[in-house]
Amino acid sequence: MATDSDKQISSSLLPKDYKTYGEIVWEQFKKYKLSYWSLWGVAALFVLAIFAPLLALNVPFYISVPEGTGPASVAGVSFPWFKALFDVNFFESGVDIFFNSLIFTVPMVLAAWFFIAPRWKKSMIKDKYKVYRTNFWLVASGVLLAIALGVYMLQFSQPYVDYQMLSKADGVSSVYPLLEYSYRDMELNSVGISPNSAHWLGTDDRGRDVFTRMLYGTRISLTIGILAVAIYTAIGMVLGSIGGFFGGRVDLVVLRLIEVMLCFPSFFLILTLRGFVEEASVFHIMVIIGVTGWTGIARLVRGEFLRLRRQDFVQAAIALGYTRTRIIFRHVLPNALGPVLVSATFGVAGAIILEASLAFLGLGPTTAPSWGQILTVGRQTKLWALILAPGFAIFVTVSLLNLVGEGVRDALDPKMRR
Amino acid sequence: MTTYIIKRVLLMIPTLLMIALIIFLVLNLAPGRPGQTQVSADGMQSSESAEARESYRIFKEQFNFDKPILFNTRFNLTEADVRSRLDLRVQFNKPVCPDTGEKPEGCLPVDQKPSSAAVIKAVEEVEDWGAYIVPELVSIAADEKADLLLRKLAVVNLASNAQMRLKSQYGRKPTPEEREYNDNAQKENEQLRAWRPSKEMSAEEFNKLVKENWVPWFEMNKPRFEYSGGDKVAIFFTDTRFAKYMYNLSKLDFGVSHVDKKPVLDTIGGKLKYSISLSLLSILLAYMISVPLGVWSAYRQGSRADQTVTLILFMLYSLPSFFIAVVVLELFTWGEPFKWFPTGGFGDAGADTMTTLEQLKSIAWHLVLPLLCMTYRGLASLSRYARTGVLDVIRADYIRTARAKGLGEPMVVIKHAVRNGMIPILTLLGSLLPVLIGGSVIIEVIFNIPGMGLYLFESILARDYNAIMAVLLISSLLTLVGLLVSDLSYAVVDPRISFD
Repeated sequence: MATDSDKQISSSLLPKDYKTYGEIVWEQFKKYKLSYWSLWGVAALFVLAIFAPLLALNVPFYISVPEGTGPASVAGVSFPWFKALFDVNFFESGVDIFFNSLIFTVPMVLAAWFFIAPRWKKSMIKDKYKVYRTNFWLVASGVLLAIALGVYMLQFSQPYVDYQMLSKADGVSSVYPLLEYSYRDMELNSVGISPNSAHWLGTDDRGRDVFTRMLYGTRISLTIGILAVAIYTAIGMVLGSIGGFFGGRVDLVVLRLIEVMLCFPSFFLILTLRGFVEEASVFHIMVIIGVTGWTGIARLVRGEFLRLRRQDFVQAAIALGYTRTRIIFRHVLPNALGPVLVSATFGVAGAIILEASLAFLGLGPTTAPSWGQILTVGRQTKLWALILAPGFAIFVTVSLLNLVGEGVRDALDPKMRR
Repeated sequence: MTTYIIKRVLLMIPTLLMIALIIFLVLNLAPGRPGQTQVSADGMQSSESAEARESYRIFKEQFNFDKPILFNTRFNLTEADVRSRLDLRVQFNKPVCPDTGEKPEGCLPVDQKPSSAAVIKAVEEVEDWGAYIVPELVSIAADEKADLLLRKLAVVNLASNAQMRLKSQYGRKPTPEEREYNDNAQKENEQLRAWRPSKEMSAEEFNKLVKENWVPWFEMNKPRFEYSGGDKVAIFFTDTRFAKYMYNLSKLDFGVSHVDKKPVLDTIGGKLKYSISLSLLSILLAYMISVPLGVWSAYRQGSRADQTVTLILFMLYSLPSFFIAVVVLELFTWGEPFKWFPTGGFGDAGADTMTTLEQLKSIAWHLVLPLLCMTYRGLASLSRYARTGVLDVIRADYIRTARAKGLGEPMVVIKHAVRNGMIPILTLLGSLLPVLIGGSVIIEVIFNIPGMGLYLFESILARDYNAIMAVLLISSLLTLVGLLVSDLSYAVVDPRISFD
């Protein structure tokens, strides 16, 4: 509730059309139409990734099996689709379980937001609303992560039932997702089919539907891209801020470290690290990309710190006797975040290409339906759908991310302000 | 300038050492070893598997894989250590007690039986400890109270652990002294191997073997297995994989490949020409196209032509090179629809039958597609940088002055704008090098060009440590040199920068 004292503070201290730095940048960003729509494009990719099982899964939403047909455990009406989503035997990779939990939690969070936001907006003054908004999204993402992790920790599994076989039996009625395919199960009697109405992008050398694999591949690419960059951004920011803030001998050590990492041809290093992990999972790949990619961010943050350290507001903070931690985290780091954000956006695009390259060489995550791996199959089997689909998908994803990156960079640059 | 170069070159040495340490640790701390064969875990091996075991042991010895990675404390091993490892194998050979019915003598409950993984590890450990545990093995063998199988195992291990190391088995030709030493060592090793007990040997026969052969031999050679304090310090630091590798490296000996047993440096020397020519041509091509393109596009900033070029370059930048490579291969090499270019290789085969001109033509023909795939992404980013570089200076005062004093437009652009606008793009040369050396892996794999990238890829798949180390070290060195050159080229272009 907006109290009188709230209003007084805001009206006495701040101008009426007061905007935070974030708002200014966002307004600028919206002016770059292409970048703005690319951001929506990236969001659409996420929607595809999250809701993939709604479109393609070889388990029915609903099945009704008469008594005496099939195993006793499935007799009667059941909803196997919901159970399959969290089955660690069905979706072996943690990435899939994570995204599957988002199918339910994301709409709920959005619904809660659209219910509560107008009420907050009406009842609060602008500044308080902004604080509540930020807190809402922080809490919401925490809850999303916790639920996803919790679901994975449960390690839920159930006995395997061949529902597709069962559905063909007499008296069984069932409702399937639009595409009745799995990205994993092989169908040896439908190998190498060219695109048609049943298989939109044909099938690969093991009879798996390519469109389904591409759809689930979105999850792999986005996860690896984002988390690998998160890992290296964290490493780079810690090292860069330590070097830049403390200077002197510490800085020298950080600089040496950066120089050593810089003169490895990075792809060689990644290949070497990957070569020594047998049976790499999605997790391994992102850690490998993460630990090799931090030099750029570290240099950037170090430079920003060196520049900011000499500025008056930091000197004032030092004179006020604030602790080092407070100065680093509250005063310097927020001001160095802009360039890091730009670099990270381009980094996600780069990491997606890296992952696809590794998968193309046969060194990607072993069981996941990675885009690069589909392209390799395309190269071996000379099926055009298998070459063009992943290539195009990578191209679109990377372009969208690069466009967003360009927009953010221009929006952050005061010289480019429109 | 000279002092600066010398300083930089000297700084390269610690950097390279650091790099060597990092790669070395990554390679050696990773689980698994090259050439690891399936070890049979039964105590007494058949003669055939004993032979395989022996050749694997020699392989490990020659490549120092039996040594600890950084520090060696094996002189501290006690008889109990050795006994526990051997005991594991004895346990493994005992029958498992059946749930019902008569229990055979000395049987083990199922849950006490050691896993085969643990036994394989124990076998490896005892083998790797080598000569350090000879006194312990002898005392176990001579211990008449111990289990006969245990004692036999001790002697079997003794027969291999006590052997003398041969000098430089693979690679270089041995010198006459080395050959003489090797011949003597071979003779003694032969003798030791002959004292191996057989599986069926009775206790009396075995006791006789130990008393008549092994104990006197050990008494005679005792000084070889005793270490003074100084020896221990030396062993601690020097009898390790890392020390041996660095010692060889200091003599510029990169070792031999595990796969083909040839010195890796020779192999890399042969491969370098492919990679370097590909990278250099690609850099050259990228600069030659992108600089004029960027300048032209900056000069017409905002026009439709500029926008189109920028958009196309942006799209090129987002296309992964392996995708383009696969597409052009499919389109232009298989004959559906076109068969214009060869599918792969470098095109320098059959050099004897071709004239130089023909050979050049063949190489050029083979390189069109790989170069295309390697160049276009670099081209995209370079032109963007060139464009921004020129845009930054085109509105500067000195350009206006140049125009005002009546210089022709080409002169203004080329002499004044381009020269200053190109400084940022020169820094990129330094950062482009590692990308080009490393980024060529995929192109080399797809087009089957026998360069460094393909070699590294194959070496990683084969776990060829020496080859991987050498490729990474040499490419890091090349990168360092590249960085230095790009820094120096700064000073050449921009007279304001000086290193003195």
